[in-house]
Amino acid sequence: MSVHGATVFVVDDYAPVRSSISRLLRAAGFAVVAFASADEFLAQFDPQTMGCLVLDVAMPTLNGLELQHILEKTGSLLPIIFLTGHGDIPKTVQAMKHGASDFLTKPVNDEELLAAVRMAIEKNRALRQEQAQLFEIQARLATLTPREREVLEYVVAGKLNKQIAGNLGTVEQTVKVHRAHVMQKMRVQSVAELVRLTERCGIGAR
Amino acid sequence: MSWITVVWSMNAAACLTLAAFYCVVWCKQRQNRVHLVFSSSAVAAAAIAAFELAMMHAKTVWQYEALLRWIHVPVWALIVSFVIFVRLYLHAGRPWLAWSICGLRTLVLILNFIFTPNLNFRQITRLHQFSWGGETISVPIGVANPGGALSSVSLLLLLVFFVDATITLWRRGERRRALFVGGSMIFGAIVAWHVPLVVWGIIEIPFFLCFTYSAIVAAMGYELSTDMARTVQLAQQLQTSETDLRESKDGIDLATKAAGLIVWTWDIAHDEVWLSDKDRALFGFSQREKLTSERIRSVVHPKDRQFVRHLVENSLTTDEEVEGEYRIVLPDGNVRWMTRRGRVEFNGHGQPAWERGVLMDITERKQAEEQFRLVVDAAPSAMIMVNAQGRITLVNTQVEAVFGYTRDELIGHPIEILVPERFKSHHVSDRHGYLGDAQARPMGAGRELFGRRKDGSEVPVEIGLNPIHTSEGLFVLASIIDISERKRAELEAARHRNEMAHLSRVAMLGELSGSIAHELNQPLSAILTNAQAAQRVLGNGADLAEMRDILDEIVSEDKRAGEVIRRLRLWLKKGDVQQHSLSINEVVQDVLKLIRSDLINQKVTVDCKLARNLPTITGDPVQLQQVLLNLVVNACDAMTGCNTSERRLLIRTGIENGSSAVVVSVTDRGGGIPEEKMKHIFEPFFSTKEKGMGLGLSVCRTIIVAHRGKLWATNNTDRGATFHFSLPIGAPGKTVVASSNGIT
Repeated sequence: MSVHGATVFVVDDYAPVRSSISRLLRAAGFAVVAFASADEFLAQFDPQTMGCLVLDVAMPTLNGLELQHILEKTGSLLPIIFLTGHGDIPKTVQAMKHGASDFLTKPVNDEELLAAVRMAIEKNRALRQEQAQLFEIQARLATLTPREREVLEYVVAGKLNKQIAGNLGTVEQTVKVHRAHVMQKMRVQSVAELVRLTERCGIGAR
Repeated sequence: MSWITVVWSMNAAACLTLAAFYCVVWCKQRQNRVHLVFSSSAVAAAAIAAFELAMMHAKTVWQYEALLRWIHVPVWALIVSFVIFVRLYLHAGRPWLAWSICGLRTLVLILNFIFTPNLNFRQITRLHQFSWGGETISVPIGVANPGGALSSVSLLLLLVFFVDATITLWRRGERRRALFVGGSMIFGAIVAWHVPLVVWGIIEIPFFLCFTYSAIVAAMGYELSTDMARTVQLAQQLQTSETDLRESKDGIDLATKAAGLIVWTWDIAHDEVWLSDKDRALFGFSQREKLTSERIRSVVHPKDRQFVRHLVENSLTTDEEVEGEYRIVLPDGNVRWMTRRGRVEFNGHGQPAWERGVLMDITERKQAEEQFRLVVDAAPSAMIMVNAQGRITLVNTQVEAVFGYTRDELIGHPIEILVPERFKSHHVSDRHGYLGDAQARPMGAGRELFGRRKDGSEVPVEIGLNPIHTSEGLFVLASIIDISERKRAELEAARHRNEMAHLSRVAMLGELSGSIAHELNQPLSAILTNAQAAQRVLGNGADLAEMRDILDEIVSEDKRAGEVIRRLRLWLKKGDVQQHSLSINEVVQDVLKLIRSDLINQKVTVDCKLARNLPTITGDPVQLQQVLLNLVVNACDAMTGCNTSERRLLIRTGIENGSSAVVVSVTDRGGGIPEEKMKHIFEPFFSTKEKGMGLGLSVCRTIIVAHRGKLWATNNTDRGATFHFSLPIGAPGKTVVASSNGIT
């Protein structure tokens, strides 16, 4: 019973831990791919894959935190659940700061691990949805002409048509036409809706 | 005067001359009775010549009868002297024949004076007178006396006696004597038969016995004079050899004087001792007094008199040399030590006849011995001198203190009395081995030695052996040191050291707790997850292959966790030091397991170059792990400042060049050790780390030294430092206890 096509990556240099976690996750219905080192994982990793990463902190050569750093730089959305032998506070803080999904101490209870994995997958799904929406909005924004873009910025900043025309050195009628095009291209019914979309793309008022 | 008178007279004169000469010789050498016998036979021959001459000139029968009777006296004397001469001088002739002849002749002499006129004639009827040799001579005519046959028998026996003696001489090889003396005697004895022939009237001639006898006398005289000549020669030789003898005696005197030897001879039968005048003077004896053994004993030191008596008694029972040492008191009161050597000579009946020997002044040697004894007695350690037979000849006071025996209980006993039962048989063979190659050296190199006290308890000792060559053979002087106290101190130090090592281990474990928790966590984690996975697998419908894998992994991981705990327990255990035969490579691997996760965390890469087929060493595995762990932790600490790519640690094992030790080295790529600190790094409480107690390396060195090894550090040529330690191959040592280098 593969859960919605998500894959759980397990990276741990210690084979018995790696295999037992893989078994547990498979028994719980997850698709699992396990790696003995961070390097092996990086070599095979496809950022498009949906799922999460269960990662051991202490590993030779490239350790867990370093792998997190690398993934972060590549813009990966893969949530990371860290496993550690002993709760080391500085390491936990560092991991969480960099967006770790969870930080679990070995030996880890199955429910705890599964809950963390489910949550991470859910998080991954949400992130991916959000990112998809963002891409859609950006695509709509891309259809705007430069003038329409200028108008959009004034609109979300709450300017009246008259003020906009004044600012742009044009007439109120022209602004109205542009505004209608913007509303149409951005596929929104109200200014409030437009504001919500543009906020997500980080476009603020001028 | 007619020639007959001349010849008979000259004959008598010659015999008398010989008689006189040998009589003088006899007077000068009274012990040589042959000369007397010869002298008397010559006198007898002269007398016979006189009688015969008188008989020839006899005018009446009565005159002739008297002469014939009395001639028997010289004839008796002549025959008896001949017989004695043959026995005494020639050592020949059968004694019974000799006795028979003498007896018979004496009987003849007695009967001669009983019968009238004599033994030869019953009656002389007349004298037949005729002219012979220009003179008128008388020859008797008469009736022969049958008793004269006795005289004839005696002549026959005499002949047999002479022939027998001559044969004996001949066989003995004295052919000249046999020819001259024996031959002339036989000739004489045969010619003497003219007497019965004349008596029986068969021939008519005068008696001429004197010539036959004088021939014999001449032969004997010749023989004796040859002897005399030889005697003179001998005397000359004797004089020469006496001169030689005196010279050699002077030489011996000189030598004995130089050697301080006093030569003595004891005539045991007469209990008389001969000493030179010089030696008599030395002892205070007068030149003339008779030296009895009792008189000699009077100069012996009163305390030694009983001993000397026993010594002399002993010497009388054997023909071997007997030796003894005792003191004598000189006239001036000076006491001197003497050694007496003597050998008894036994006579034919097995009785001691003579004892000859020497006395030697050994006072100086005795004084030296006494000094030696005093020195030995004053020595701080126990000293025992043993002879080549392994018997104790000398002990000092310290021996009594160490072993609890008194001196008298040890002297003369085999040294093994002081050796524990279990070493005794070995000790005897070792002792013989030592005598074969005696050199001054410590005994039992590398082994622990024990002595046995009188009460049976054992005492740990150290023994030095010194061979001493003396005139009495090889002795061995052993100096023995009671090392009980040292052993106790060593044990105490070892206990301190082990406690220190333990504390240091506990502290190190604290530092490594994270790593160790991780080592324990990993298997526990795998077990838990596997078990929970199993529950789910069962829920999904059992996959048996999967279940088997899970259970296998649980079992192996449980064992792994158990192993970690076992190692921890060993590590924390505070027990006696173990002595195992172990492989150094295993020690390295055990340490790497213990510190694995710490190395990962510190991003230190470990390279191992472990030599294959290394011989085993003997030691305590935990303590050696502790040393190596310490070095590895130090090496990691030294590299915290380096880039992670440079944090490399090299552990090597191998055999030390040209030696019998295994070497382990730990090389880091840190900053190295500053030269000024190099010599302090093994001192206690010296540390370059902020948190360090400064005990790690000092404990390490203590442990390694206790294993008879070495621990040292060197800086690498490029960067970083290397710590090395070496451990002797094989041999288990007493050393973990014995060589103390305790920490204070």
